Amino acid sequence: MAAPMELSCWGGGWGLPSVHPESLTVMAYAKFSGAPLTVNTINNSWKAPKGDIPVLVSEDNVISQPAKILNFLRKQKYNADYELSAKQGADTLAYIALLEEKLLPALLHTFWIEAENYCSVTKPWFASRIAFPVSLYLPGKMSREALNRILLTKGGPPLYSLTEVEAQIYRDAKECLNLLSKRLGTSQFFFGDMPTTLDAFVFGFLAPIYKVCFPRVQLQEHLKQLPNLCRFCDDILTCYFRLSVSGHSPAGKDTADANLQKLTQLVNKESNLIEKMDDNLRKSPQHPPRKLTTLKLAAGGEESSPFNRLSP
Amino acid sequence: AAEPWPENAALYQQLKDEQILLSDNAASLAVQAFLQMCNLPIQVVCRANAEYMSPSGKVPFIHVGNQVVSELGPIVQFVKAKGHSLSDGLDEVQKAEMKAYMELVNNMLLTAELYLQWCDDVTVEEITHPRYGSPYPWPLNRILSYQKQWEVRRKMKAIGWAGKTLEQVLEDVDQCCQALSQRLGTQPYFFNKQPTELDALVFGHLFTILTTQLITDELSEKVKNYSNLTAFCRRIEQQYFEGHDKDSSAIAARSAKRSLLR
Repeated sequence: MAAPMELSCWGGGWGLPSVHPESLTVMAYAKFSGAPLTVNTINNSWKAPKGDIPVLVSEDNVISQPAKILNFLRKQKYNADYELSAKQGADTLAYIALLEEKLLPALLHTFWIEAENYCSVTKPWFASRIAFPVSLYLPGKMSREALNRILLTKGGPPLYSLTEVEAQIYRDAKECLNLLSKRLGTSQFFFGDMPTTLDAFVFGFLAPIYKVCFPRVQLQEHLKQLPNLCRFCDDILTCYFRLSVSGHSPAGKDTADANLQKLTQLVNKESNLIEKMDDNLRKSPQHPPRKLTTLKLAAGGEESSPFNRLSP
Repeated sequence: AAEPWPENAALYQQLKDEQILLSDNAASLAVQAFLQMCNLPIQVVCRANAEYMSPSGKVPFIHVGNQVVSELGPIVQFVKAKGHSLSDGLDEVQKAEMKAYMELVNNMLLTAELYLQWCDDVTVEEITHPRYGSPYPWPLNRILSYQKQWEVRRKMKAIGWAGKTLEQVLEDVDQCCQALSQRLGTQPYFFNKQPTELDALVFGHLFTILTTQLITDELSEKVKNYSNLTAFCRRIEQQYFEGHDKDSSAIAARSAKRSLLR
């Protein structure tokens, strides 16, 4: 139990400690059960572990899937479920199966298969965190695996085209979200006041949908219509991850005040700049402001297009 | 959809004695149990090419009037459109629970059955290959069963089950049975007094596992560890299958027919 435990997982963004659902599940469970994990986010180095992420390393044990990692933590006496009855434990397994069958395909699709989302958000994000030249290959491989999984499990007849499969999996996902919302009701967590394994899994799956900013967001919009699920994610983020919804620490009024101060400073700076510009313009009438702005826009346009061509 | 249920509704599955496999038999029995619970008469018809006749490629499928519907989920919805439903009395939270438990059975029990049938080499060689292709002449029987095996193994790989050992799969079955047993408790059905589609599905799978003879008894032993589950199966069999014609599949399955057949 005193052995140090290290978790390697994908890093965070958009206010989340991790963008990867399985890594987020493990991190949430560790917070709920009080397990002392050192979290190593995968960055641009060659020391990143190959194989499934997240990976827990403790002494000689290397454990890779979320269910197995949670089992290992429970054996080390970090158990978030000890107050649950047998029936609630059974419910946990059933709801996790529901998440994997109904919600996971749509989640994978939003991240890895929807073309706009993949090219503009997912691929650059993951590629920036993997060492070159693996970064040219690994995101593509993850995308192909996701498509394969969806087609093999959901893509049989009578659904014959990818669009029909997509329509079906989003329907299933929306129904699953509705079911989760009904089950959660008005309570803070799924089994009363203390978070458990099920809360970790639901949070791991819902938070990326809720927070990551994609161009195509039909699932996120549906989720935002279920306020109790949104409140559930925000509560866990503020209570257990010490992050406010804007992504800075510590939570609460301090952040709001700090943000307000920064905003007022920015606004003051802007107004000072504008005053200076006005003075300059008044002093030199032969330079009308319109030419200045078009020059700036052209410069901006030229600068941005080479970047567009370089990005994958 | 407002037509009444006809008298000549038929359920198609593969040949009972020689061809049908564990997972398909479980699915077929689940549908039969569901229809019995709704009091809708159905005739079981066995055809060697049932899988190919089905609109989704999966058995069983039912032929009602001029419509063909396959698999338990769509059949439940179809029956509901005709005005019969077993889960109307449940509130929203219970319906969510029922759907979650049905997914658990599909996710763990069905996948474990498929794994055992198609990814465990001994079972594949001795039971699955001979049974699956039995209506067809050589070499078609071998080609069809290899094709099916390749498909199932691809799917297992995609969902991460290909790396599991048989012991791990049996442990998952045990976990699933434990969850079902704890949820059932001492009640007669999963949602107390009235059976629902969840009861039909669980019955289909557990009864088939208990009465099918495989290479080893490990799978049925896992289920037998939970006495309330075996009592549940016996109760449903007695209530819905005995007293009907003697060649209904439940009674027939009891005799050890799935031994090593050629």
